[in-house]
Amino acid sequence: MKLRRLTVVLACLLGLVGSAHAAGGWKVPAVSKRLPNGLVVVVSEDHSAPTFGLCISYGIGFRLEPEGHSGFAHLFEHMMFEGTPVAPKGTFDRVIEGGGGSNNADTRYDFTEYVDTAPVSALEPVLWLEADRLKTLDFSPANLENQRNVVEEEVRVNVLNQPYGLFFAIDLPGKAFDRFPNAHNFYGDFKDLDAAKIQDVEAFFKHYYAPNNAVMAIAGDVNAAEVFAKVEKYFGGIAPRPVPPKPDLTEPPQTTERRATEQDKLARVPALAIGYRMPPRHSHDAVVGALVGELLHNGQASLLYQALVKDKKVALEVSGGVNSVFGNPFEYDGPTLLTSFIIYPPNLSEDDVLAAYDAVMRDLATEGPSPAALARISAKMQSDWYSNMEVPIDRASLLSHATLLDGSPERVNEIPDELARVTAEEVRAFAAKYLVKTQRTIINRVPAPASGGNDSGGKGAR
Amino acid sequence: MSGSEFRSTLPSVAAATGGLGVNSGPSRAIITWVKTLAIFALLFLAVAPATGTEKEKPLPKDLPPYGEMKPFQAPQVTVQKLADGLTLWLVPRPGFPKVSFTLAVRGGLAADPQDRPGLAELLTATIDQGTASRNAKQIAEELQAAGGDLSASAGSESIVVNTSVLSAKAEAGLALLADVAWNATFPDDEVELAKRNAADHLQQQEADPSFLAERALAHVLFGQHPYAVTSLTQDSIAKATAQELRSEYARRFRPDQAILIVVGDFDAAKMAASTASLLGKWTAPSTPPVPAVDKPSLVPPHAVFFVDRPDSVQTMLGLGSLGPTESSPDYAAAQVANAFFGGMFGSRLTLNIREDKGYTYSPGSYVVSRRTTGIFQTWAAVRNEVTGATLNEIDYELNRMATTSPSEEELVHAQRYLVGNQAIDLQAQDSVGRSLARLWILGLPPEELGRESERIGKVTVKDVDETAAKYFPAARQAVVAVGVEKVIKDQLAPFGLEVKPAP
Repeated sequence: MKLRRLTVVLACLLGLVGSAHAAGGWKVPAVSKRLPNGLVVVVSEDHSAPTFGLCISYGIGFRLEPEGHSGFAHLFEHMMFEGTPVAPKGTFDRVIEGGGGSNNADTRYDFTEYVDTAPVSALEPVLWLEADRLKTLDFSPANLENQRNVVEEEVRVNVLNQPYGLFFAIDLPGKAFDRFPNAHNFYGDFKDLDAAKIQDVEAFFKHYYAPNNAVMAIAGDVNAAEVFAKVEKYFGGIAPRPVPPKPDLTEPPQTTERRATEQDKLARVPALAIGYRMPPRHSHDAVVGALVGELLHNGQASLLYQALVKDKKVALEVSGGVNSVFGNPFEYDGPTLLTSFIIYPPNLSEDDVLAAYDAVMRDLATEGPSPAALARISAKMQSDWYSNMEVPIDRASLLSHATLLDGSPERVNEIPDELARVTAEEVRAFAAKYLVKTQRTIINRVPAPASGGNDSGGKGAR
Repeated sequence: MSGSEFRSTLPSVAAATGGLGVNSGPSRAIITWVKTLAIFALLFLAVAPATGTEKEKPLPKDLPPYGEMKPFQAPQVTVQKLADGLTLWLVPRPGFPKVSFTLAVRGGLAADPQDRPGLAELLTATIDQGTASRNAKQIAEELQAAGGDLSASAGSESIVVNTSVLSAKAEAGLALLADVAWNATFPDDEVELAKRNAADHLQQQEADPSFLAERALAHVLFGQHPYAVTSLTQDSIAKATAQELRSEYARRFRPDQAILIVVGDFDAAKMAASTASLLGKWTAPSTPPVPAVDKPSLVPPHAVFFVDRPDSVQTMLGLGSLGPTESSPDYAAAQVANAFFGGMFGSRLTLNIREDKGYTYSPGSYVVSRRTTGIFQTWAAVRNEVTGATLNEIDYELNRMATTSPSEEELVHAQRYLVGNQAIDLQAQDSVGRSLARLWILGLPPEELGRESERIGKVTVKDVDETAAKYFPAARQAVVAVGVEKVIKDQLAPFGLEVKPAP
């Protein structure tokens, strides 16, 4: 998850999803419409505050950036804020901030989202500006050079100058997967970022930023019919364009456990990242996997926290889940991992931690969860899922992603019910099938000796 | 700074954890209603298309104007005092099916014993690790069953405990919070484990440039004053005992020095009854409450304080000085000035060192209030090569603030940004709870939530000029730099400042 600006820390994303466990459950309203040019518009009315949240997601993430262009989808995302021929750089920010709101964007595996929130009085100019930058951009080489520098600082602040250097997000998929789309460094190698040209920006825009490759969701104090009319007015004239077909992204099967050790010049305490390959995204097993990820990692009641931090005292912190670094367990559309990130005491070894970890996996695969544990995580996931839809900007995001990836905004109301139907036996069978050594990759990240190893903290990016 | 603080200009999020507050003030009579304020109407109606008047660049000719501003109602708060002295603020908001509970007590990091700096952090790490009737696992599991987690954090002048649960489980959530608030036992083995983990955790934090920079800046700004304490030390961790935690807990968690704020989908009468029965029957000790923190007297030196961090590829630059408190007449003008200096994305600082120069990713400036002083700070993480160039630009922008007037358009733009963002911020239950807790900690009534916007709307160019001249001059700022010592010394040499290790 890469943001245009730093507003979210990764920890926010761990432990997100929910399930409708109480009968009936809370549903959010959602109506949608497809414009003749293919743009899908979703509206969720909520009149509790005079504000709106808007999310427009494009069906292009970093998974599809070509070899030799690692990091380009995210660099491109920055260029979407660099102005158009009629609304030069800075205009969008001026208008939305002057309207009492703010905007941002982020790039994930399978989509790039642009989000806006403001008092409703600013909705119409914001719609105009979103439409304007879907027509064309100010393809300025000077602005590209500027944003290349900004993005490289972003990589430094989040990766190269940080202990652990996001190795659980960058290096782990790099080892767990074999094909470039799934395995490459999404933040980008500096040599690739440095090589990006303005012609690449133009080509990427032309290929992927088409109305028929986008879903726009608007939540808040709005009237659906009025929103549809305004969107028609501002977006209706944008012509659809052919979007390249999605290539085959499947991975060759993994047959053995993969292990690696990395030296970290900046970290002072060792950490482990463990990633298990997950079932195909559009399967019932994936729903079970989402729940298993939370059962293992969500809060102090989770199986791994209780076993590793409390009972065995072999870890300081445990976090993770399915797709946990990049959103909730339903915000992806290709090969993904269930990831555990564990910080452990310097006086212990990797084996000490893994012995306790494997015992948890073994128990889950043989005994399954207790009915009480299943009920608890079901309630927690329902509660967390609701929180994802509390404020308009978050709700718009969730609706937009569900519509883009699953074809219907109603998915946000169905997912909790599906999670609530997961049984203890399904959890056990899932653990026995997927949470096995041959399906996993482990990286042990240890502080480099003071005398100086030759590896760098944040090896992922340069 | 946490991620959220980078972009937050109304310091509501930072405040509950960042430390504010003190004395409860006179006890309040039973139920008053916060006046409903039409905040937006103050500012927006007359200026619908106003961004069009900004001088730098005309706006696109076809851009539709802003619509008519709808009034924003500040959260309505019923204020009560329970029989034992606990303050209760209820904010019923039907619809979203959760309830957020925020309990705050006076006495945070600044109240830690002198030889145990950071003890409040250890207290928050262990407060939910056992009560008279539940062990740690039971607490975690019962909360999860209610759809919640417990978060406890120590600021300078308060400790805040929060949980957010499903409405249908609100009673269970409240019962758990009450149990933790009044019956925590700090079992010896749990405290032992927490100490061991805290020692390793501190070691890990000391690898993080932001942690190092914030800790250094607090020491530079406050010296021996209790506001200098922002985290644990290895010495504190080693010496702390379970018995100390129990006695500090008893000293700080007392009903006459505490507030419970409940926000969300609940029945007000039922909630009032539940809180009275679960939380209204405790006895406040006769011992004196945690004393108020003195106003700091140190004038922070205009010098560079570095933290050597070998292998850094960036320098973390932080500039800080003392600023107005939230109760000060300067505060609203400082918020507005801060917004267009470095608070907004379209601020002078961001436009200069990010959008023009490309030196940094997420620069920002913040005005934060504690009870007896404010803090004005500016941050930027920049690649080593531009450490000096960046400080030069920050100094330039600070002095431009201090010596020249903003345009009327710049002022109005910042005001509308702040007012609108407050409305957006107060959409989430937890956020309302944190904002109200911040006010209580500062000794302010809930009505202040509405007045903040009112005051921001009244700020004039002259107010900004005076406030900026007072707080923004570059020569007033202490500078902290975390990175490679040689890089910092070489690059900052031209500034002619004393360069020394951070205290």
